[in-house]
Amino acid sequence: MRFLINLLLMLVVALGVGFGLSYYALSDGRFFGGYQVGPWAAWPRAGAPDPDPYTRAFLARNGAIQLGQSEGLQFVATADSDGHPLERDCTYRIDGTTPIATFWTLVPTATDGSDIALPGGPPGFHSQRVARNNDGSLQLYVGKKLRPRNWLEIAGDGPYWLVLTLYDTAIFSGVSSAATALPSIIREDC
Amino acid sequence: MVRTGLYLFAGLLLGLTIHLVVILVLPLLATTSATAKVTALTEPAKLQLLAEAPAGGPNPLRLDPYLSYAVCRLDLGKGPGVVSGTLPQAFWSVAVLGPDGTVIYSTTNRDGIGQQLDLGLFNPVQTRLLAEQQIDIEQGLLIVESPADNVFVVVRLAPEQPVMRERYEATLSGLACGNITL
Repeated sequence: MRFLINLLLMLVVALGVGFGLSYYALSDGRFFGGYQVGPWAAWPRAGAPDPDPYTRAFLARNGAIQLGQSEGLQFVATADSDGHPLERDCTYRIDGTTPIATFWTLVPTATDGSDIALPGGPPGFHSQRVARNNDGSLQLYVGKKLRPRNWLEIAGDGPYWLVLTLYDTAIFSGVSSAATALPSIIREDC
Repeated sequence: MVRTGLYLFAGLLLGLTIHLVVILVLPLLATTSATAKVTALTEPAKLQLLAEAPAGGPNPLRLDPYLSYAVCRLDLGKGPGVVSGTLPQAFWSVAVLGPDGTVIYSTTNRDGIGQQLDLGLFNPVQTRLLAEQQIDIEQGLLIVESPADNVFVVVRLAPEQPVMRERYEATLSGLACGNITL
């Protein structure tokens, strides 16, 4: 009887560790392959011809058409800068600067990739269509409550992600701005 | 107690093994890869515009709503592939993806290409024939070697304003895509 309990315990630990670790590793590359700055996570090798095994598994699970390394890089935030998951009932301020790129887009999506911006309006923010401060920094607001300057109204309920795509960026080239230039995501109210 | 600890340790090691197996096997078993989705949406050697995902609607390929996309699926076993045409002066990029969804090659119009896209895709055998001058190609063709025969080319085009989208997509759909007959 004791043998069976020990065996069962071993199997529970093995399955929990095996599949739990895999899910955790592929969520935002927390172990290998991923790159995280504050709430933003990216897979820098996703657009490379020879990705590492973790990135390869991410590509298979994600199912998106990836950007090549010379085309750009995509960052995804699933939580705000304090680590709280992004909720559609809250208003968030995206505050700061972005790394140098020809242009960027910031789109709020549901976890299945569908756009959650209010139908009839813009699907997100575009770097060439936002108001900036004199120093080039910006404040973008995402939520259901009206906000000044750059505000994107979203629809529905539940968690969501913010997808920041930098096109034609030299973020990891070492000659351009660092990835640390990514903006913070601050929860204003819920 | 020691025996239970040993079982737990064995479970941990087994768990790490399962983790490594999952990571290595997932790309081989996944049915939701970008390649599978693109294959379902396109015909070989025919350029296909990808429809913009409606607000709140499904977006399985996770396309950026600010961009227009055209995809061409090619079997290089039937001959070298060519994607060519003239694109607007706005930002555009091209990527060649292999059967496992990895990007074999990519570039943008900021790399000195200008408005003209002339991309030639060759498998290793065809590349060798090309080096031996046994294949005639157009001058100025951007040559890309693919280790696999089944590839797809994705052209992304960024209209400066939403009102330009329709016109830009008409230009995008005018790109030529096909195999060169040897």
